[in-house]
Amino acid sequence: MDDLSRRLLQRLVRRIPAQALKTTLGKWDRLTAAQRQSVDFTQPKWTITETLLAIFEENEWTMKHVTELEMIHIIDNPNQGMWYAFQLMDPEDDAKSVELTQFKEQFKAHLSELVRHVSVKIKKHTDEAVWIRIAWGDSFSRPNHMKPTYVVHHLQTPYVFVTSLTSKQKPLLSQALILSTRHQGIKDANLSGRKLAAIRDLLMKQYQQVFPTKYPGTLTEKNQTVSNPRIEREQAELGENRFQMACEAFGDGMLPQLQSAIYKLETKFRDHTNKTMTEREELPFKCVVKFSSTNLLESLRECAASGIASTPVTPLLSSIPLKGRNYFVITDNGLGPSSQTNQPQN
Amino acid sequence: MSLLKPFSKLPALNTANILLVESEEQFQQSLADALVKETGVTVNVRLAKSLPLPMENEESRPRIDLVVFIINLASELSLKSAEASLKYLDPGYFLGKVCFLATNARNASVPTERLDAVRKLAALLHCPLLFAEDQTPDGVANATERLLTILKVAAGLVPMATALYLSSLTQCTVPPDIDQPSFD
Repeated sequence: MDDLSRRLLQRLVRRIPAQALKTTLGKWDRLTAAQRQSVDFTQPKWTITETLLAIFEENEWTMKHVTELEMIHIIDNPNQGMWYAFQLMDPEDDAKSVELTQFKEQFKAHLSELVRHVSVKIKKHTDEAVWIRIAWGDSFSRPNHMKPTYVVHHLQTPYVFVTSLTSKQKPLLSQALILSTRHQGIKDANLSGRKLAAIRDLLMKQYQQVFPTKYPGTLTEKNQTVSNPRIEREQAELGENRFQMACEAFGDGMLPQLQSAIYKLETKFRDHTNKTMTEREELPFKCVVKFSSTNLLESLRECAASGIASTPVTPLLSSIPLKGRNYFVITDNGLGPSSQTNQPQN
Repeated sequence: MSLLKPFSKLPALNTANILLVESEEQFQQSLADALVKETGVTVNVRLAKSLPLPMENEESRPRIDLVVFIINLASELSLKSAEASLKYLDPGYFLGKVCFLATNARNASVPTERLDAVRKLAALLHCPLLFAEDQTPDGVANATERLLTILKVAAGLVPMATALYLSSLTQCTVPPDIDQPSFD
């Protein structure tokens, strides 16, 4: 076992809480029962590390096994960094028939053609997602396992989720993905968030949605808070309408947890009383509006339902769930295509 | 534009009707629940987000004896909404049948200008301005008690007292030097 893998294992043990480490090791399923018994999870972290290192040495396990362990942990706890969504475009005829083994081989082959030193690990998770761990190196250095990129792709869907990818590695990953999934292009889906499950649900529309209807039946019953016959709401209908419209825009029930939405304005300044601003005709008027919250969609729905935001909900807000993105560039022609400024950063 | 009129309908026996107007629709609910618990008189509560009230409820709506504007001092929108709603009240209401109820006045983040604006508004319209605590049950009970006192008079249930008489005693007054910078 070399120094690098020892360091990676040390860091891994340090980062995982003791209880989570126990389940992770259980899932990993390489330790024998006796070995599992020998690890005492009530001990301080460095003792656990020592024990594990000894087991690794004894079995002559290498970097490959440490990364396996790391992957199992990341798959179980994916909400640790920013996840960025990408969308594959223009599928070729055989895109639908790509299956796991073929994808694995192709992806590895294409990526190692592009970068000499790269370490790729692919694992299929139970929920049909393919998890890819990439440790990048370049022509002169060995793969850096300390800063791996994680990629999650559901086969036969156009969406790819990526975390900790630098702008230098982005074109390489894009090309490998395009070729191995039999598509012709890839673009930024302008969606990012800390919760992988949330951005996946939002893109694949896996949350409870409400469709516009003229006959609100169940919603009105749910919203009846006034019980006393001597209390009457004058504008009860209005309130129900607002609630219905808010649900139509953002969905009902639990919503995917998004942390922020960013609107970048690049419009002309139109106010004839303000000469200095209108004189700079060619230059666009730039400003950035950022909404942030622990659960942004829930907050926006509440704003609309309580009447703080006007209803029907403005397309600017409702296009977050509708288009599944949370980064918009607004030009004079409405919601324009976003520029390339939203590249994921490490 | 339909004005809400104080005397367009006949009063019912031993009944008082109160209209709570609040743009946020939070405090009015707990206040209404407390108000209807009054046993001495029958209290009917109508809740509204803003005025004018919808036409289709015209028939079922009883004579409103007291209109209460609830203003959350932490929100500019709340004050603006109340100001806009005032236009839809018949002038007759301002003879003692309107009152303002300000919440969140103790909040440190409330700009003093907004509090002054509310006080000036109440003074200008010769209405009483009450302050209430909306977070605690005690605060709600307190506010309910004060509102009931005014409501009973406004509904004509207290002998020898009228709304106009009471309001001349309780209306909000603003010190003449409120606009001077040294005022605090």
